Amino acid sequence: MIRWVVWFLVSSGAAVACETAGQRMSSEIQNAPKVHVALDEIRLSQPFSILLTVCDDVAVSEVRVDAIMPAHQHGLNYAPKITALGDRVFRADNMLFHMPGLWELRVDTNFGRRSISYTSDVVLK
Amino acid sequence: MKVLVTAAFVVLAGAVRSEVLLSDDEIQQTLSFGPWPISLQSDPSNRVSSDTRAIALGAALFNDPVLSADSAFSCARCHDPEQAFTTSDARAFGRVLVDRNTPSLRNLAGLRWYGWGGKSDSLWAASLHPIIEEQEMAHSKESLKAAISESIYIDDFEAIFGDIQIQDPELVLVNTAKTLSAYLETLATGRTQFDDFRDALENQDLAAAANYPEAAQRGLQLFIGRGNCVFCHNGPRFSNNEFHDAGVPYFLSETEVDDGRFGGLNFLLSNAYTLDGNWSDDAEKQGAWVVRSVRRSHSDFGTFRTPSLRGVAETAPYMHDGSLIDLDAVIRHYSEIDTERLHADGEAILSELSLSEQEIADLTAFLESLSKVP
Repeated sequence: MIRWVVWFLVSSGAAVACETAGQRMSSEIQNAPKVHVALDEIRLSQPFSILLTVCDDVAVSEVRVDAIMPAHQHGLNYAPKITALGDRVFRADNMLFHMPGLWELRVDTNFGRRSISYTSDVVLK
Repeated sequence: MKVLVTAAFVVLAGAVRSEVLLSDDEIQQTLSFGPWPISLQSDPSNRVSSDTRAIALGAALFNDPVLSADSAFSCARCHDPEQAFTTSDARAFGRVLVDRNTPSLRNLAGLRWYGWGGKSDSLWAASLHPIIEEQEMAHSKESLKAAISESIYIDDFEAIFGDIQIQDPELVLVNTAKTLSAYLETLATGRTQFDDFRDALENQDLAAAANYPEAAQRGLQLFIGRGNCVFCHNGPRFSNNEFHDAGVPYFLSETEVDDGRFGGLNFLLSNAYTLDGNWSDDAEKQGAWVVRSVRRSHSDFGTFRTPSLRGVAETAPYMHDGSLIDLDAVIRHYSEIDTERLHADGEAILSELSLSEQEIADLTAFLESLSKVP
């Protein structure tokens, strides 16, 4: 009974977080744990942060964040800094988009030995 | 009679009002180039930033040969205040002919990187290196301390920084650079015809906006449209302040190359004068994330910092090596660019634009509108 209650609290906590956790990221893997990304207004050539939330009740061992401009064949000039905030929420700082256009945000997440990639498109004017 | 006819034509032409040619989307993009001037805060890494005494001392030192080892020349020789803080030479001549064009020193406050290769992450560090660079001012730390001590500026220096005799020569060097930086922060280009246009659009005053010449408007449309100039030249400074391969050869001779950003990063990451170092006055190290997280890549080789386009008509010649004599040559360079010269594994941004003569003239008109009216 106690185990069930703990599971319920963790599960409902994640569910609540995901309601306001931004847009869901895409993955080509079927039944991949849901990952949401929240980003504030992004200003061209100015650093910004994003918030990543893993919405399913799974252990996350590592999160890596990157971004590319597919049309221009280049990525970020600065390496994002990842901070685990707890409850499967992660913040990536030092993000900087130095050109307008379509950026593809990439998040690689390790769930134990299983690594899953997620993407999300961001258009910066 | 001919003079009268010409004068009448000029008056008539001046009286003809243009229209606003831009679409709603183009207007939104245009707004991103302002407002101007931008508001700036003091540099937290420089404790004498915005200090009026330091600004005055920096201005005096900038214009005095005391900062060169043999008192041969001042900073102002290559960064001539009468020539937009550059000169018309393709490449600067310090003690020898250096490899790069002298950049203008206006609008430098608050940038993330300085220099063509971005070897400095602060304006005070960018001010420091030329003082001790052998090809430029060629001081040692010790000779600089002696020169300042014996100069007419010693009282002003000590009023700001205290007794020079108890300061380590390296501290004197850094303090001197910080006064130069305090001065350089104050150098900015003024408002332009473009800014009036941009602000009129923001205020939805189309009648005022229509005073902006149609040729410049068409040039702006190319700049943010087919020309793709805005990819790198964006924001109120018309620069993303990052590093790109502009298709300009970086061979200095048959055996030497200018490695650009690649060398700039090597220099930056191996010297003490960064925002992450002990010479920064900012206890919180606010800007240090840049040097801590900047990525290195072999495609940095031969890339150079995007220059601001504000005041660009006043700073010919152009590109990192000063190889393009005027704005017309720059536009033709991008119009006819040889993509074979670009890094095979670099970014895919530039392509041959094949601009018409009319389009080249329009882009020139737009770029000229980013400078003050003579």
